Amino acid sequence: MGDFSDIIPKVVDATVEIFTGMVMMEISQQGEPLVELGNIKDSITGMVGLAGTHKGMLAVHFPNSLALAITTSFLGMDIEEINEDVQDAIGEIANMLGGNVKTILSDKGYDIQLSLPSTISGEEYTFLADKDLKQVVIPFSAPAGDFYVELELEE
Amino acid sequence: MAKNVLLVDDSSTMRKIVSRSLRQAGLDFGDIYEAGDGLEALEVLEKESVDIVLSDINMPNMNGIEFLREKSGRDGIKDIPVFMISTETGDDIIGEAKSLGAVGALKKPFTPDKVNEVLGPFM
Repeated sequence: MGDFSDIIPKVVDATVEIFTGMVMMEISQQGEPLVELGNIKDSITGMVGLAGTHKGMLAVHFPNSLALAITTSFLGMDIEEINEDVQDAIGEIANMLGGNVKTILSDKGYDIQLSLPSTISGEEYTFLADKDLKQVVIPFSAPAGDFYVELELEE
Repeated sequence: MAKNVLLVDDSSTMRKIVSRSLRQAGLDFGDIYEAGDGLEALEVLEKESVDIVLSDINMPNMNGIEFLREKSGRDGIKDIPVFMISTETGDDIIGEAKSLGAVGALKKPFTPDKVNEVLGPFM
């Protein structure tokens, strides 16, 4: 796999497409990719596991304010707290992006299966990658806050 | 004549998004029913008058492929057209769905224009 430089632009494009087409929200990549994210505060993370020829994980980390805005846009009604609807919406973002990542990796000859999405949320948590996995964190900017797409993959 | 639709997806958020896209597509949809997995979808199809099914692939209890397989064996509902809505549109999974009777696919994310393009001919 080497570094992620060849797939990062495609992951960025897929993320923008999801937000433009489904969330109806303009976003953009915000700065260079990071190696790790560190402590995550007042946030919710949606994730899907990757299995098959290469194991890994795709996660999307949103501050609560942005997660609420995304869910409000999805459902067409004001969402004011992190509830099951928010968890479902963020899980679905991870699910859609996971599907795109699967296609991107398939084009490189990788045979990947996706898990069902899951979410975690809290006041403060740390997302630790398995030390044997290559990791990249792509920062994005949205009107209601910054968020991060994190990809971990076996080499 | 308005077509009744069944949306099958384990995400209630996605069912609302798809429902919104269907309405925005400007096609003549009547009642929109919902199901959380293939098992629920079969129950709805046996009870209600449904003209078109839009089904996710990856779902718990009974996934979209298993749903197609089971539906194809039931005389009263086997001919209702099914479109797969999924993040996965690789040739293998969609090919398998079509071999089990699916008539088309919509890749997430999709727009009302895409809904129109794919479903329009079946309205």
